[in-house]
Amino acid sequence: MTQVLIDRHDVELAALAAAGGRREFGELVRRHGSAVRGLLRRMGAQPTLADDIAQDAFIQAFERCAEFRGEGTFAGWVKRIAARLYIKRVAREARYIAEVEQDAVAPTTDHAGLMDLDEALKGLSEPERLCVSLCHGAGMAHPEIAAALNLPLGTVKSHVKRGLDKLRARLQPQPAQSLGGTQHVG
Amino acid sequence: MSADEFDPEIERLFGRSPPLPDAALFNAQVEQRLQKGSHVRVLALGLAGVIGGVVAIRETMSVNLGLTGGDGVVAGDALGQGIRSTSLGIQNTVQLGLDQFGLGNLELGSLGGMQMFWIAAGALIALAAAGVMKLSQEM
Repeated sequence: MTQVLIDRHDVELAALAAAGGRREFGELVRRHGSAVRGLLRRMGAQPTLADDIAQDAFIQAFERCAEFRGEGTFAGWVKRIAARLYIKRVAREARYIAEVEQDAVAPTTDHAGLMDLDEALKGLSEPERLCVSLCHGAGMAHPEIAAALNLPLGTVKSHVKRGLDKLRARLQPQPAQSLGGTQHVG
Repeated sequence: MSADEFDPEIERLFGRSPPLPDAALFNAQVEQRLQKGSHVRVLALGLAGVIGGVVAIRETMSVNLGLTGGDGVVAGDALGQGIRSTSLGIQNTVQLGLDQFGLGNLELGSLGGMQMFWIAAGALIALAAAGVMKLSQEM
């Protein structure tokens, strides 16, 4: 039975889950649980909060499984549910980003090579981190993010751009520094 | 790396999420919550169904079928008598049940006939939905 579930496609499992199949839905949770939790952490949620919201997102996904028609990926669909839940939670806790620019935490790794995305995200301010994660992690469009965060569209675009610029600077490999590079001809 | 090259790269990085060490625990917690939610739903719908059933029975008993009217139909009289005696029996049983739950003073007659009809219909639909849900979960 487990083998059968493993072989099945997400869309197929989601259809079975929509008919009340908890085992099938359990397989979907097994497949995508870490991705959803990971995204929430990347958005800035503490691990415990991220797990709570991820659970809520999966419960909601189970209840709304019939709405998933397989246009995108199942993981993407649940990620969007989770992202929206996180935004609601953050707004409710009045910890909202508003227009306040917060200090970014300096990444701890050195710049010798490729930095881990999670580490690189720590170098972004909270609004930048959230907007970049919503855009590139949850696949939300800029207007969608602006509406969800109740921010002007231009502000969202700036956060995403600045965040991406910072990430690009941190994630791309550093050029080799003067290792037999330029020679001074005197 | 240019911005155009970096966009797909960052999406690829976001899409790559290492499995977390406590994934099994997380899966179990979700499963547990699903199970709990399902029990609560079945209980709530079942309760709604029972209440609806009780209301429907009481309403059925108070319906005047007009079979005992003065049109001289003997068969109709007999049928009417039969229904009335059966209804009385059911009514007594239901009343006993209501008394046991402290609902003996429940005055359903104070609601309008149409209201009662819709309440009963809603409750019966809830009961049917609970049945379907239970069946789908057992499949």
